[in-house]
Amino acid sequence: MKNLRELLGESDLSRPRIVLAILTGSASLGSAVGLSAVAAWLIARAAGMPSPADLALAAVVVRFFGIGRGLFRYLERLVSHDAALRGVVALRARIYDRLAAARADTVLSLSRGDTLARIGADVDAVGDAVVRGVIPLGVAVVVSCIAVGINGWMDPLAGIILAIALLASALGAAGLTWRSARLAAEFSVMADARVSEAVVSNLESAPEHRVWGTEAAARTALADADAESVIAQERSARPAAFAAGLQTLCAGAALIGSLWVAVTGAAAGDYGPTTAAIIALLPLAAFEAVNAVPGAVTQLFRSNKAATRIVELAPRPRTDLPADARVQQSTTTPEVVLDGVSAAWPGMTPTRPLDVTLKPGESLAVVGRSGVGKTTLLATIAGALKPAAGGVRIGGIEASRDMLGTVVAMTAEDAHVFGTSLVENLRVARGDLTDEQALDALDLVGLTSWVQSLPDGIETLLGTGGNSVSGGERRRLLLARAVLGSQRIVLIDEPAEHLDTAGRQALEAVLAHLRADGRTVVIVTHHLEFSAHTDHVRTLDD
Amino acid sequence: MRPLDPRLAGRIGPARRYIVTTALMGLATAIVIGVQALVLARALAPVLAPEPLNADGLGPLGFLVPLEVRQLSVALAWLAVLVLIRVMLTWVQERLAHRAGAQVISELRENVVAHAAALGPRWVASGEGAAVATTVTRGLESLMPYFVRYLPQLLLSATVTPIMLVVVLGLDWISALIVIGTLPLVPIFMILIGLVTRERSAKHLDAMQRLAARTLDLIAGLPTLRALGRERGPATRVRELGDAQRRATMGSLRIAFMSGMALELLTTLAVALVAVTLGFRLVEGQVSIETALAVLILAPEVYLPLRMVGTHFHASADGLAAADAAFDVLERPLPAAGGTVAAPDLDGATLVVEDLAVGTPDGRRLAPGRLSFIARPGTVTALVGPNGDGKSTALAAVMGLLPADSGYVAALVPTDRSDTGRVDAADVDAEGWSTQFAWAPQRPDVTPETRTLSLGQRQRIALDRALASQRPVLVLDEPTAHLDRASREEVVAQIVAAARAGATVLVATHEHDVIDAADSVVDVVALEVAR
Repeated sequence: MKNLRELLGESDLSRPRIVLAILTGSASLGSAVGLSAVAAWLIARAAGMPSPADLALAAVVVRFFGIGRGLFRYLERLVSHDAALRGVVALRARIYDRLAAARADTVLSLSRGDTLARIGADVDAVGDAVVRGVIPLGVAVVVSCIAVGINGWMDPLAGIILAIALLASALGAAGLTWRSARLAAEFSVMADARVSEAVVSNLESAPEHRVWGTEAAARTALADADAESVIAQERSARPAAFAAGLQTLCAGAALIGSLWVAVTGAAAGDYGPTTAAIIALLPLAAFEAVNAVPGAVTQLFRSNKAATRIVELAPRPRTDLPADARVQQSTTTPEVVLDGVSAAWPGMTPTRPLDVTLKPGESLAVVGRSGVGKTTLLATIAGALKPAAGGVRIGGIEASRDMLGTVVAMTAEDAHVFGTSLVENLRVARGDLTDEQALDALDLVGLTSWVQSLPDGIETLLGTGGNSVSGGERRRLLLARAVLGSQRIVLIDEPAEHLDTAGRQALEAVLAHLRADGRTVVIVTHHLEFSAHTDHVRTLDD
Repeated sequence: MRPLDPRLAGRIGPARRYIVTTALMGLATAIVIGVQALVLARALAPVLAPEPLNADGLGPLGFLVPLEVRQLSVALAWLAVLVLIRVMLTWVQERLAHRAGAQVISELRENVVAHAAALGPRWVASGEGAAVATTVTRGLESLMPYFVRYLPQLLLSATVTPIMLVVVLGLDWISALIVIGTLPLVPIFMILIGLVTRERSAKHLDAMQRLAARTLDLIAGLPTLRALGRERGPATRVRELGDAQRRATMGSLRIAFMSGMALELLTTLAVALVAVTLGFRLVEGQVSIETALAVLILAPEVYLPLRMVGTHFHASADGLAAADAAFDVLERPLPAAGGTVAAPDLDGATLVVEDLAVGTPDGRRLAPGRLSFIARPGTVTALVGPNGDGKSTALAAVMGLLPADSGYVAALVPTDRSDTGRVDAADVDAEGWSTQFAWAPQRPDVTPETRTLSLGQRQRIALDRALASQRPVLVLDEPTAHLDRASREEVVAQIVAAARAGATVLVATHEHDVIDAADSVVDVVALEVAR
């Protein structure tokens, strides 16, 4: 729970709001307890056939509780969701800050896999810990105390019986549920992996299985994996079923105990019929809050898992390590020296060593087949990744993370097109960009006619929820971005396939433009023909 | 959305069995709850009544619980038994729910996967097909809360609520009238509130999703911003978007929670009304104390399942959406696979491909575009061309694994009279045709167990299987891609030997060694579709 606590602590959760949510939630469930107690009193009193006026107040109170339950529940849900949402917003901003401040290699590696896609859901899960975990637990404690207080005030023994039953129900269910969640998490990792493997085998290799007549075998493999997953789920569900049974048992035991105390107490003349009725009937309403414990515990378990993933992805900035220092942007282009440099992400085969010296304004094309590590090499030249061997010197200094974004700009193959306007997507490279400059850059990459075809020109929304951008247009948009940046060294990662004529022309125009500007360019590409447009060519293929 | 997808009950055996048993258990639960209320009423009544009770105060339902229960010891024994039965019911129900959930998910998953595989490689490779793997793994998991939490409550509201109503009616018709009067108000109010607020909540929901998407968009673009040195700016934007999203969300929640409030308000207020009415009628002597107690205890039970259905509503929405996605795949009609004519024996047959074109999933290109060649038995035919131009697709079309958009694949089969008969692949039994090819794909599966091996090892196994199979046509997709020089030469020799032994060999390749060894070389070229 450490990670969840850490993140909840960082999400600026307002304590008063949480307390208010717990109080309104308790008022809601407390209304149900109160309704049950006052109604029991009312019936018991009425049985003595008093004048109807004696019942008037109780009748009003019963109705009040009848309304209070729904009303307070509505308030509680609003307050708790508001508190949680504020927390989620703060947490999201905090995580963004953390990631933005993280080391360049951490950030660049984020685009690999679906880590970033998952982070939104994980942050929401941390917020759910408040609404569905912390607050129901708080309400359960408060409401249980109220119920025990009422019965204990009437008869201490009744209070003790109710307290023991509530405690056993809450703690037992919490423990069993936690165990169930842990078992499920453990087993499901293995079982889920086998199921996904079998699913992929069945789907992607279906043609192969058809040709070889192995469809039945593949299907049996899936059925086996499924059966294993069913067994794993059954095993983890066992404690949860015990928890449900235990809660029913505790509520029933409290009912039997209270009835016994009430009837014997009344028979002994310790108290009158109204007290006896309250003692006997209160347990019927007292357990609703405690019955929410398993759900709350499950939510806390889930939220904690999400919190762990977030903390791993965006660890708290370490104060003992210097953050990426900002190197001053310069207006002169430094010399770039690749000295036997070879690149690899951890666990990858290093690329072939490269030697080349790029004088200011010169360009280099790195050619190689897909998967050979061209993109990794770019990250290394950018200083984001330590070389596997050899070194990169920029302006005589060892390339470091600090240079990415200041001296060096990189356009990745999978660079992001933001869900905002076309011109804002270009301002990503330069904040003070004017419309004219934007149009010039778009013209350079041959997108003028495309822009003219867009409904709102450069103000047209792109990406999610906006106009869709084809692969070729996207590439050229990214090239325009590369031109607009102020960094003196530009690294361009060209996609492997489908470079159409327009894309080729755009790339040539961009190379010419950057050369005229005196900037140094490194481009990695599939297509040998670009070597004609660069000063140096190196290949990564054996 | 319907609360229960009839396709689940109709087509998935475990789901049907679970629904039936859960309904029966609901019935048992209802009986236990009812009897428990009567026992409590009997046991408490002597304490509350001002004078000793003689008559049976439970009216026509008195026969269910004998008068001896008015003695405390008897009542406690009855209660103990009832509580134990309820504990058992709860435990069994919970176990059944998890088991049934897991079984339904498995069965649905196996059905969807089998159907999707039958829909063919092109559909699997398309956007929808790619989503199937997610749907049947992570997506279907949300059916679990649906089966464990929501469905039992739904069935309880269909069993416990009416039975409790009947019991209350048997005890005291005025209270029953109050309950009957308020019960329909619950759905009516919820529907009315839903109708009134639909437009506003849709607007809020829309704004909410847009803002959430934009925040995630900024986070997703972080590596890009970092690479351009512009990552610091958007932090405030993330905060602003988040605050706007919170306001939009709260706006929608204020409305969404209203139907929940109506539900709670109506149900609890109705219970309060029943209690108050009972109290006043008790004073007047119009109702017995035992009846009053029993009705007081039962009134909340009538509404409880309805309220729980409301609580677990979101579980139902997610689960049903997942089931819907699965059934969408299942209901997709299977493509007509080949014809009915028995497939010819391809041993010694010449394969003819004429004008073959297959569109890419995005519809922008034909890859291959208008491919023609002839592959004779005893020869090696190499298919060459850039990646993505359709070599593998052409091979799949030849093997009858996917339909051509134009052109055809045919076999020239030698007949008795030194003549040949032409058989079109599209007319024959697809399975009989496909299983005569010994195929080594680029990313072979071989058996699910081999998935743990590296791609290179798997390719080697697939190649060995193809060479050893004695099938008349060998189809090899880049068989030498991950091999060193020595093994490459060995494989080339094996390919040539297979051809000399009479097989028809088709190879897609970039490798010079293979191309040099081929008897004929075919260029595979993609064509842009004019738009």
